[in-house]
Formats: sequence, C-alpha cells, structure tokens
Amino acid sequence: MHEMSLVQGLLQQLHQISDQHNTSRVLKVTMVIGPLSGVVVDSFKFGFDVLTQQDELVKDAELEIVIPEVAYRCSNCQSLQKTSGERPHQCASCGDTLLIAEEGNDLILQQVEME
Amino acid sequence: MCDACGCQTHTHDHDHGHDHTHTHDDSVIVDINRSLFAANDAMARSNREHFDEERIAVLNLISSPGSGKTTLLEHTIDKIGGEISIGVIEGDIETERDAERIRAKGVPAVQLTTGGACHLDASMIHRGFHQLQKEPGGDSIDLLVIENVGNLVCPATFDLGEHERVVLVSVPEGPDKPAKYPKAFTSSQLFLITKTDLLPYFDFQVPEARKEALSLNPALQVMDFSATTGEGFEVWLDYLRKLVREKKAE
Repeated sequence: MHEMSLVQGLLQQLHQISDQHNTSRVLKVTMVIGPLSGVVVDSFKFGFDVLTQQDELVKDAELEIVIPEVAYRCSNCQSLQKTSGERPHQCASCGDTLLIAEEGNDLILQQVEME
Repeated sequence: MCDACGCQTHTHDHDHGHDHTHTHDDSVIVDINRSLFAANDAMARSNREHFDEERIAVLNLISSPGSGKTTLLEHTIDKIGGEISIGVIEGDIETERDAERIRAKGVPAVQLTTGGACHLDASMIHRGFHQLQKEPGGDSIDLLVIENVGNLVCPATFDLGEHERVVLVSVPEGPDKPAKYPKAFTSSQLFLITKTDLLPYFDFQVPEARKEALSLNPALQVMDFSATTGEGFEVWLDYLRKLVREKKAE
C-alpha cells in the first residue's frame, strides 16, 4: 500500500498548485499511471477517495486515470512492439528474446482543473 | 533539502519550467506533467552522488518478510567483516531487533522504523546514513547494506540511491515469486536464491526460478546458495569484494 503515501504526495502538490493559481477548489485531477510503475490502480483510487475526504480543497475532485501502453524495443533489430504492459515472449520481427521496456514506469500528474 | 546536516543535496527538476494554463469559464485547467516520483528520485540521486564521493558501495536488499535478509547479513559479516568495513541500515515497521543483531557482530547499524509504512524512501536513507556515520566505526565504511522493509511489492518502486538492488527469495517461498512480483525483479541487478540446503524438502526447481526471472529481466545476475552451510556462498562474497574494489578504484 505505498499508493497511500503517493496520494499524500499528490495532495501536497495540489495544494501548492492551487496556491500558485489562487484557486480554492480542485475539480478534476488527471493522472498517468504506467503499467510498469508498480502502482496498483485500484489502490491508488482507494487512497485518493479516502484521503480527499479529509481535505476541503480536493473533497469533490474527480480522479481521471490514463493508462498508457508500454513499448518494448528489441535489442537486436530495434523494432518496437506495444502491449498493455506484459512483456512479449519474443520480437515479432526477428524473434530475439531480449526486449527492453521503454517508458511505462512512471506515475505522472498530468493535468489539474480548479476553480 | 538538507540545510541541517550541511551535506550537498542537489535537486534536479527538469520537467516543469512552466505550467500551461487554459481558462474555461470559471475553472482553470493547468497542465503539470510532473512525476510523483520526482521528489524521491531527486533525493536518491543526491544520495548516490554522496556515496560516490565517499567511495562507498551501496546495496538495497529486498525480499518478503522472513526470507533471511538479516541472517544473510550475519553470515556475510562473519565471513568478510575482517576485510571489508560494512555498515547496515535496517528498515522495519517496528522494533530495534534487527539492528541489535547486526551490532552484536561488531558492525555499525542504524534502525529505521517506518511506523507502518511499507517501504523505505530516499529521504529516510539520507537521514539514516548521517546517523550511521555517528555510530562507532560508521565514518569509515566500504560497503553499506540497506535492508529494506520485508515486502516484495512497495520497496521496488522507490530508488534509495543504491548502486545495486538485490532481490532475495528463499527456497521455502517457492519459485513463482518472479512471475508474481515482477517489479522487484525487473528493477534489480542481482537475484539471490537462498536456503538451498532446504531444496530436498521443498518443490523448488532452481532452474525454473532462474528462467522465470531472466525472462523478465535478461540482464539479471542470479546466484543460489545456503548461507548456513556455506555451499555456494563464496560467489556472493566474491561479488561483494569486487563491488567494493571497483567503487574504491573509481
């Protein structure tokens, strides 16, 4: 459940962002959660629901989650294969098994809507 | 970030020169595009630079609870404590017990109790390292071993500033751990299969575990040994000797 501490970090950032823009209410938060980030989407949502209840700024905020695909690059022929996260057993072009994941590891606060 | 201790910390926030703001009626939409890992990653980079300056090789040891991380360290200290100065940072939710076991071997150790948190993060390591340097022998360490909180899930997400991450699975836990907890294996450099003296009593196929882990992370180094009987242990000790030697030579 490290998702809880990640949501706490997110709320701190939202307070800073809200202060910078002189707003008093967060309406919507858009997060990009990479399939290889080690973050469980349901746990993140749960953490967000629980922690926002105690915080006036974000109490009614909607959480939108975008889950990107992961591109695996073949270390032999450099061709890319996109999946929803799982590692392909082999390269579709040359059959090599050494595939390196590019991106998909990050947890990004993409956009905030406030008033 | 570290005014108190005076050591240099560097924060590199490359990703947010400015926000992009759009206004819609009453609401403001701001594009942020900032990683929630950014603060921890910046602290981890700062830790690593500090360790490099001091020429200390640093390992982050990750496993489930009870797989034998502390016992591995005890045996390691017994074997090479005389040739390599080891320091240990212990992470647990509660109690000083693990640090006491390490101190009993004459090695400086600091216990970090997370009070419920399931992982260590880079700022805890920063604090813990300064604490360790004040312990007897803590100011002349060649090898720092960070024993993370027993958990194969959460610690895998947090860079602590280590040079190598080591994931450990003991024979009684079963060979399917890499498939079930992939992140710990894709983010590590070394995979240790321990308690191999128990292989006759468990259905654990070392080649299967090895194959599973390598299919997730082809660059992973794999070792199997029993710290208790010493069988295969020399490979681990040689790995540590080499790591420390290379860090000194940098």
